[in-house]
Amino acid sequence: MRYDPPFHRTNGLIPALIALAGLIVLPFVFEASYIRHLLILAFVFGIVAASWDLSLGFGGLFNFAHVALFAVGIYTYAILAKTLGVNPWLAVLAAGPVSVLVATLIALPVLRLDGIYVILVTIAFSQLVYQIIISQSGVTGGTSGMVTLPPLRIGDYRLTSDGRMGYYYVALALLVAACAFLHLLIRSRLGRAIIAMRDAKYLGIARGVPEARTRALTLAASGLFTGLAGGFYASYVRVASPDIFGLGSLTLVLSILLVGGLGTIWGPVMAAFVIILLSEAMSDLGPWRDILIAMLIIAVMVFYPGGLWGVVQEVREAVATTLAGLRARWRRQTGRAAREARMGAPEQMILTRHGRVAVSETGGKGPAILAIHGNSACKEAFCRQFAALRETHRLIAFDLPGHGVSDNADPEEAYNVPAYADVAEDVLAALGIETPVILGWSLGGYVGLELAARAPDRYAGLAITGTAPLNIVPDDFARGYDASSHLVLAGKQYFTSAEQHAYASSATAPLAPDSAFMHRNINRTDGRTRYYMITRLGVVDWPRQMRMLREGSVPFAVLNGADDPFLDHAYIRSLGYGRIWTGAPHDIAQGQHAPFFNRPEAFNLAFTTFMDWARSAARPDVRASA
Amino acid sequence: MMSMDTFMAVATGGLVLGAIYALMAAGLAAVWTTLGIFNFAHGAFIALGAYLGWQIAATQGAGLGLVAGTLGAVLVMFAFGILVHMALVRPFERRADIVTASVITTLAGAAIIESAINLIWGPRSRQMPQLVRGEVDLGLLRIPQSDLVLIVVVACVLAALGWFLGRTRAGRAMRAVSQNRQAAELMGLDVPKLYALAFGISAALAGLAGIFVGGLRFMTPTMGTDPLMKALIVVILGGIARFTSPIYAAFLVGMVESFSNYHVGLYWTPAVLFALMIVVLFLKPSGLFSHHQRTL
Repeated sequence: MRYDPPFHRTNGLIPALIALAGLIVLPFVFEASYIRHLLILAFVFGIVAASWDLSLGFGGLFNFAHVALFAVGIYTYAILAKTLGVNPWLAVLAAGPVSVLVATLIALPVLRLDGIYVILVTIAFSQLVYQIIISQSGVTGGTSGMVTLPPLRIGDYRLTSDGRMGYYYVALALLVAACAFLHLLIRSRLGRAIIAMRDAKYLGIARGVPEARTRALTLAASGLFTGLAGGFYASYVRVASPDIFGLGSLTLVLSILLVGGLGTIWGPVMAAFVIILLSEAMSDLGPWRDILIAMLIIAVMVFYPGGLWGVVQEVREAVATTLAGLRARWRRQTGRAAREARMGAPEQMILTRHGRVAVSETGGKGPAILAIHGNSACKEAFCRQFAALRETHRLIAFDLPGHGVSDNADPEEAYNVPAYADVAEDVLAALGIETPVILGWSLGGYVGLELAARAPDRYAGLAITGTAPLNIVPDDFARGYDASSHLVLAGKQYFTSAEQHAYASSATAPLAPDSAFMHRNINRTDGRTRYYMITRLGVVDWPRQMRMLREGSVPFAVLNGADDPFLDHAYIRSLGYGRIWTGAPHDIAQGQHAPFFNRPEAFNLAFTTFMDWARSAARPDVRASA
Repeated sequence: MMSMDTFMAVATGGLVLGAIYALMAAGLAAVWTTLGIFNFAHGAFIALGAYLGWQIAATQGAGLGLVAGTLGAVLVMFAFGILVHMALVRPFERRADIVTASVITTLAGAAIIESAINLIWGPRSRQMPQLVRGEVDLGLLRIPQSDLVLIVVVACVLAALGWFLGRTRAGRAMRAVSQNRQAAELMGLDVPKLYALAFGISAALAGLAGIFVGGLRFMTPTMGTDPLMKALIVVILGGIARFTSPIYAAFLVGMVESFSNYHVGLYWTPAVLFALMIVVLFLKPSGLFSHHQRTL
């Protein structure tokens, strides 16, 4: 299963376009050609660092000869354009393939090596390239290098004129092309293989990922834009010097990569601006500049390994969380009347162990039903049960923390199934309700199972819908659900508007006037609830739930939609149930993932019949005779 | 065909190079086997050791003579190595990416040390004072006295290191840690202390190597880079199975380099060594002298 939307459908598109537009108009805002010079350097070194990120960050291969690939690009340009008199544009273009070739040569000895040996062999290779360059002084100019290389020009127009305007836009175009190339590569089959070899090498090999070929392609691909950037850089500074092999340029590129964040592509591109500006600002400090940059590298490694990209992610999370919290607060005030009308019940806030949650309760003397909604939904999902059953039952529904109009809560503590069960217990205690029937939907089904497994005697019955009980996690997760993009979205922290729509449509109901409130609700949900819910599956005592079901300590029903697109019905039927209504899971004809909403009449009939059965099943005399 | 005299001169050169590489490689291997990381600041340690020795020994500095300079540099480098371990390696000890992280931080450390040398002593090259001058006639060959001293000192130091690792309690504890960290910890060994000790010994050996390198060539802040590269090839060639395996390899590399310089020329010698390293990596990735379990 794979869910991987193209770039133009991710949340990154708009920020990327804004940044690009900003860079396009920048030369007209700041007219100083020095600023353009710095930006050109930032573009070039951003490309080099982002390409290195491919092998180091994504591939986990420390190719120490990466800067040597850049140098190869520089010297390719110098030799082709100056010595051989090739058209400078062609020389820049040729620098890419030549670097790819050299990168492939580097790859050959390290194909079967691991960890530190990769580092040692590549550093030795880099030294070898250096030695060759300084020894062939007839071709490369030796230690003094080559100067007055031909610049780029279009016809008679020199790219250096108008304050380096031409070079600026060529560099920007190169940066955009490099980013597109790296982004597409990471998303491709090869990119997934590269990441697989880093994260789970032996699993990847067992699944048929060719280790040597992947490694060779990783290094070759990381050489392409590094070489192009080298060729372009040589045409810009018009010097090819072996100084590029020194510790200074290595630490410069490495600091860009680390400050940006490993394994991100965009991080190094952003960090290039910061580091180049910083380095330029410190250019008067002499050796102090190298010391400060090296200290920056150490500080990032020790204190903030996520780098600049990690900061961006934290800011993004803070903004998204705050927005969701503000939406909840706003809607709590403004939409209350509409919600109460929809539910036919007053709404109140109850303080629980995990923050304040919003609760709808019909009151009355009938048997109590506690309804628990699913992932990224809200208590109003049960409005059709409230409408149909409120005369005869006492219905309670609440918004889970981070959902609906409840408060956001501490993600580490509150956004997992046991914590949601804590909240449900607190709501029941606050309302003074004993032995309710629980109706749990999807994620709420797990909350219901958790509640019943904790204290079977306290519940008169448990019905789950859209939930596959699990025994071993995550293995059973793959058995209980059909793999689909919906499943990936269920754990995805940030939704685009298209993803909001897709998730709401598949999880609840297609967008219609009567289901629009659930579509609107998604953007209020704290995205961290999804992420933490999926990543904290391990904190649940799943075997205890399964034991409770096998022993039949609570009257139980499975009321799934027959057409639920996510559940594996065969898996759910294969489980052992000690005391289940109708003896097997009951399917609601034409029901979807939320059958109580799609097919309320059939669902309510089944649910009330189950409750009658559960009440009789709960009577000691009936149980004894059974 | 080369004459006997030339042959002996080239061989002596190889022996001297081999002795220096052996010092460096033993230091690198001490850290590599115990901590499992490669210390890229080792080359900078060499430079720092040389400059410290110069500061104490040279008449422009304290003028205390080369013996005092050597002892002082080795002692200071020992302490400095422990300091570097605390600052650059300890923070990552429990992290999965310790190899990459420590490569990056030690590299940054090397940049800091080199720049600091540049700041303190300036980029101008300097000459280490000589302890002895003249040549000594050993019948078959005449070699410079300083080379003889170098070879004898290195032999004594390596023998002492071998005795330390094989016979003393601390040395055996270090070997135990390099074989199995967890078991060593469970036996009550103070692993962080032993790691620091390994780093200290490594830096002290680098300091001594620096004094010798400074005596052979001019001293510059980047003087450690080339020996580090050679020591790196040595360690790959020899493997780190035992503390002696990089030493054999060091003399092998020293000889190859010396003869290759004579026959192939200065410029292509790195390529010859690199080719040798690649061939060994293909045929025997764990090193030429590696049929034992790694024990330091």
